Amino acid sequence: MADITTELFETNVGKVQLRSGGTGDPLVYLHSAGGEGQDLTFLNDLADNFSVYAPMSPGFADSEGGDQIDDMEDAVFHLLDLFDRLDLDAPNVLGLSLGGWMAAELATRYPDRLSTLILVNPAGLYLEGAEIKDIFGRSPAEMAVDLFADKSHPMAQMMLAMDRTMSDASALKDIPFELIEPTLKSMAAAARLAWNPYLHNPKLRKRLPRIKVPTLVVRAERDTLIPEPHSQTYAAEIPGAKLVKVPDVAHMISVERPAELSAVVSAFLASVPQPA
Amino acid sequence: MRFFNFHLMPYPSLPDDYDGPAWVTCPNELYDPAVGGQAYNRYLDELIYSEELGFDGVCINEHHQNAYGLMPSPNLMASILARQTKRVKIAVVGNALPLYDPPTRVAEEFAMIDNISGGRLIAGFVVGGGPEYYSFSINPAFAREKFAEAHEIIIKAWTEPGPQEYIGKHYKLRFLNTWPRPVQQPHPEVWIPGAGSLETMEFVAKHHYAYMGIPYFHIDVFDRTFRLFREACEKEGYEYDPIQAGWLTPIYVAETDEEARKQYEDHFWYFVRRLLPGINISPPGYTTLRSMKGMLKGIGTFAINLKTWDEVVDGHYAIVGSPSTVLEKLEANLGRLGTGNLLGLFQLGTLPEDLTKRSLELFAREVMPKLRERFPDGKPMLRSGERAA
Repeated sequence: MADITTELFETNVGKVQLRSGGTGDPLVYLHSAGGEGQDLTFLNDLADNFSVYAPMSPGFADSEGGDQIDDMEDAVFHLLDLFDRLDLDAPNVLGLSLGGWMAAELATRYPDRLSTLILVNPAGLYLEGAEIKDIFGRSPAEMAVDLFADKSHPMAQMMLAMDRTMSDASALKDIPFELIEPTLKSMAAAARLAWNPYLHNPKLRKRLPRIKVPTLVVRAERDTLIPEPHSQTYAAEIPGAKLVKVPDVAHMISVERPAELSAVVSAFLASVPQPA
Repeated sequence: MRFFNFHLMPYPSLPDDYDGPAWVTCPNELYDPAVGGQAYNRYLDELIYSEELGFDGVCINEHHQNAYGLMPSPNLMASILARQTKRVKIAVVGNALPLYDPPTRVAEEFAMIDNISGGRLIAGFVVGGGPEYYSFSINPAFAREKFAEAHEIIIKAWTEPGPQEYIGKHYKLRFLNTWPRPVQQPHPEVWIPGAGSLETMEFVAKHHYAYMGIPYFHIDVFDRTFRLFREACEKEGYEYDPIQAGWLTPIYVAETDEEARKQYEDHFWYFVRRLLPGINISPPGYTTLRSMKGMLKGIGTFAINLKTWDEVVDGHYAIVGSPSTVLEKLEANLGRLGTGNLLGLFQLGTLPEDLTKRSLELFAREVMPKLRERFPDGKPMLRSGERAA
C-alpha cells in the first residue's frame, strides 16, 4: 500500500487539512458528514494506482474556514479553488454520502472540472417515501446501526462506547474533550450545508442530466441511512451512469470495506479511457 | 433586590404511560385542549396574583412544540398581563430572535406591550433553546450570527430615527421604520438568559444588559456562571451591578419543612422526569467548542440526572421548606451568587393552584421583606471574600 501524507494546505478560506499520496491519474476523495479521513486505508489502496487527494472540507477536522462556508455553493467554489491550487484540471472525483452530494453539485455546475464521477451512497436528493434518516439528533448507538453492517468494526465499537458514556451522567464530566471534539466539529460543519433543506438540494435532480462525464454509482446494500432509491435515481438520471451494488456492507463502506470499494472503483476507472 | 414570579406554564397532564421526550417529537395528540385552556387561565391568574402580593415583576418565556412550557408566543401572554396588571414589570424572557424573520416583528410587538403597559416591559432576547432548532428547522450553525443581527436591528429600530436601511448577512431590510416606538427611552431594560456559554456572557457584559442564569443545575454551576459573568464585565472595564444578574430557581414554601417536602416532591419529579427529557438536545454548531469545553464539566449535574431528594437539597436544585428555611437558603445563595434579581419558579410541574398560591403568599409575607432588608438596592451583595478574583 502506498503512503499517504497529511499537510495543511493554503486555500481561499484558510488552511485545510489535505491527505495525498500515490502516483497516476489524479483522484479526489470527498468525505462524508462524519469527516472520515484519518487512518482511512481506502486512500492507501487507491494510491497504488492513482494520485490521491483527500481534502477535509472547511470546518471539519483541522481545516480552517468553516465560518466562510454557508451552503453547498460555497463548498463547491472552495473545491474549484482547491483544484486550481493543486493544478488539478479535471481529476476523477469520488464522494461518499455528503461528499457524493458535493461531487454531484460540482459535476452539474462545472462539468469540465472532472473527468469521471463516482458517487458512493450519495446524499443530495429528497425522495418522498424514501427519506434519508436523521444524522443530527440521534444517539451514536442509533447511528452505528445505519453506518456499519459489522458491529464489531472498531469504529462501530467506538460509537457504542461513546453512547454508553453519554447516557451515564457521572461519566460525562470525565470525557476527554479531544475524544468528542472531531464529531462536534464534523456535525457543526455538516449542519451548515445540510440542516435545511435536510441533506439535499431540491434543484439538483433536474440538473443531473447535465452531467456528461462517465459516472459510477455505488450502493452499499445494507446502507439503512440512505435508502436504495437514492442510488437508483442518480443512476437513472445521469446519462450513461452505471450502478454497482456491494452486498453485506452499510453506509460507511470506505471505512468498513475499503478493499472491496477500491476494487469496484479501480475496475470502473480501468474501463474508462483516461485523458492523456 | 427585585423579586419576580416566573411561570413556565407547563402541560400538567402527560399520561402516565408516556415515557418519551416532552420536546420536539412529543406527540401533540397527547394535548387535551380542555386541560390546556384551563391551565392557561389559571397560570395567568397566578401571575396576576403576584402583583397583589408585592412582587416586582412577572416573567414568561418562549418555547415551541413541547409539554414543558405552553408559550410558543409569550408576547400574547404579555399583552394580557399588560392590561390585567397595573404595577409589576412584565419580563418576556425572552423572544427567540432567530425564529422571527424579519426580527422587526420583535421590535414591533415589544413596543406594543411597552405602550399598553405604560412602560413596564423588560425585553428579553434569547438565542432559543436547542430543541427549537429542530422544531422550527432553523439552522443552528447560524443561531448566534442571526441573534446578533436581529438584536442590532431591534435596537436600531428603537433608538434611531426611521426610515433606515439595514443590510446584514442574514437580514436585508430596505425600510426599517417601526411603529409604535417604545415608551421607555432609549429602550426597555434588556435581559438575556444563558446556560453558561461565554459568548452570551460577553455579549451581555458588552452591552451592559442583565444576565439571567438558566436553572436546573447544581448551585456550583451557577457559582461558576456568575463569576464568569462578573469577569466578563470587568474585561469590559466596569464593575457589574447586581441588578445586571438574575438567578432563576424553583421555590416552594409551606408551614414546615416536612409539609413542604410532602406537598411538593411529587410535582417536582413530574417536572424533572416528564417535562425535562428532551430539553437538553444540543444541535450541531449551536454551542461553540470553546464554550462546550467549559460547560462539559457541569452537564452531568443537569437536573435530569437527579435520582434522590437528598441530591435536590444538596445541590440547591429547588429551594423548599418552611419560611425560615427558605429565607436562610436564599440569603446564603444570593450572597454567594451576587444576583440582584431573584426569579422564582413558584409553580412547577403538576403543582396545583391552591398550593402554588399558598406558597406565593408565604413567600411574599415571610421571606421577601426580610430579603429586601438584607440586600438593599444599590449595595454590593457578595459576601466579603467571595468577590471575583
